[in-house]
Amino acid sequence: MMKQLIAQMQEIARELLETGIVQTVIGWEKGSRWYLSPPVFVRKPEDAGRLWYDQFAVPNLSGYLLDYRNKNEKVAVFVKGCDSRSVVRLIQDNQVRKENIVAIGVPCAGMRDQSAVNDEKEPHELPLLSKCLQCRYPNPVYADRTVGEAVVDKSLNVPDDLDAGTGLMGGDLTGDGSYVSSGIVERLEGLSSDDRYDFWQKAFSKCLRCYACRNVCPACSCRECIMDSEHSLWVGKGSSPTENMFNALIRAYHVAGRCTTCGECERVCPVGIPLMALNQFLGQEVNKLLEAYDAGIDETLKPPLEMYGWPDFDGLFRCAKGVRA
Amino acid sequence: MSFEPKIIGFLCNWCAYTAADLAGISRLKYPDNIRIIRVMCTGRIEPSFVLKAFASGADGVLVAGCHPGGCHYQEGNYKAYKRTLLLKKLLPQFGIASERFRLEFIASSEGEKFARVVGEMVGQLKILGPLQTAAVRIAELDGLFGEAEGGTGGGR
Ligand code: SF4
Ligand code: SF4
Ligand code: FES
Repeated sequence: MMKQLIAQMQEIARELLETGIVQTVIGWEKGSRWYLSPPVFVRKPEDAGRLWYDQFAVPNLSGYLLDYRNKNEKVAVFVKGCDSRSVVRLIQDNQVRKENIVAIGVPCAGMRDQSAVNDEKEPHELPLLSKCLQCRYPNPVYADRTVGEAVVDKSLNVPDDLDAGTGLMGGDLTGDGSYVSSGIVERLEGLSSDDRYDFWQKAFSKCLRCYACRNVCPACSCRECIMDSEHSLWVGKGSSPTENMFNALIRAYHVAGRCTTCGECERVCPVGIPLMALNQFLGQEVNKLLEAYDAGIDETLKPPLEMYGWPDFDGLFRCAKGVRA
Repeated sequence: MSFEPKIIGFLCNWCAYTAADLAGISRLKYPDNIRIIRVMCTGRIEPSFVLKAFASGADGVLVAGCHPGGCHYQEGNYKAYKRTLLLKKLLPQFGIASERFRLEFIASSEGEKFARVVGEMVGQLKILGPLQTAAVRIAELDGLFGEAEGGTGGGR
């Protein structure tokens, strides 16, 4: 089945490149280890055979579209259900033009957790990623073409036959500093403000300020990031608690209401900081304060924090009453 | 010596700043705890400004601008308002009571309201006390004021 699907993917890529509809196809290729399927950029029809797909095609490729926003080049990108939401986000933000991209939807039955690998040589069973266990959009919400049995579907649906796994965000809050993001928000709820501060302080004290989380994020699309500002008074380059916290809060706030919960930031963080917990928290608050909203589903809808205007303002006051009290 | 809170006030040029001016011209009395930063519109106020103020030792932050419908750039205050709602939710996660951050709509004719808001804030901040949690504790951790404790977190 997977073989057929891959053949189909390669076929589409070859056709798109041969006909000149696109100049680049972004997909996954077979990695150097059995559990790795990293991104690949195919520019020649004869290289289409490099394309690959399996349960390790975790990377969300839509963020790469940002690299093409100033180029006069058409790009095709393979998207799983969750990845397609990021494409919608980019279209909503006018970061990519619909006519410059070809999104190709692939079916997804959940991706496997590479952090649970304990034999580098022999393939073995791996649990599903926790984000996949919670996935509500296994089908692409946006795609120009589809392969396999993938269908474009914006309605919520929860995949059923998923076995339990510990997930990418691996382990509970343990001594070695690995966290599981899911559940953190709920657990913090019962704590005092100071204790919550201590929790975050501890978590972010490990931050290296490598900005991998920012660079991978399809919602982080500013041309110039405040974190790179030449103004040393804004945010220092060093890794100190103040600067780390500032970075953490601003990153999370800037994607609030636009984060599609693709989980890439947390996956790429080299020190395992539970970034998704903060994203989740802000996402929930946006829903509570403004309106129920899933980012990146409908490109005609504006995200709640970006809508202003008279009719909207009445609503704002209505929902704000409880806040002011 | 009693605690005198420091408040950073981001005031929009057209309404709140003019109101502060009016308060001065009318010789209204209000506490001098506020340091005013004039911005062209509250829509310019990025959450990082507010966080930076807290991280740099402010005990409270006031954002004040035109009334709904009165913004000179049409919708700047609506943007500020939505951002404020969310920021108010985020701050308590990090040990900063949401009362330390306030958004007010103050028209240029409301010098009296400006004086009252500042007075109220100062009163409230005196009850809350200094913002130990973020500014000082972070500063301690940074080793700026005194010894940082070994290991991570909890440098109280
Ligand atoms: S913040 Fe993280 S989860 Fe959200 S869109 Fe960016 S990379 Fe994905
Ligand atoms: S990826 Fe992790 S270590 Fe790197 S800047 Fe982001 S939070 Fe810090
Ligand atoms: S000009 Fe006063 S809030 Fe926009």
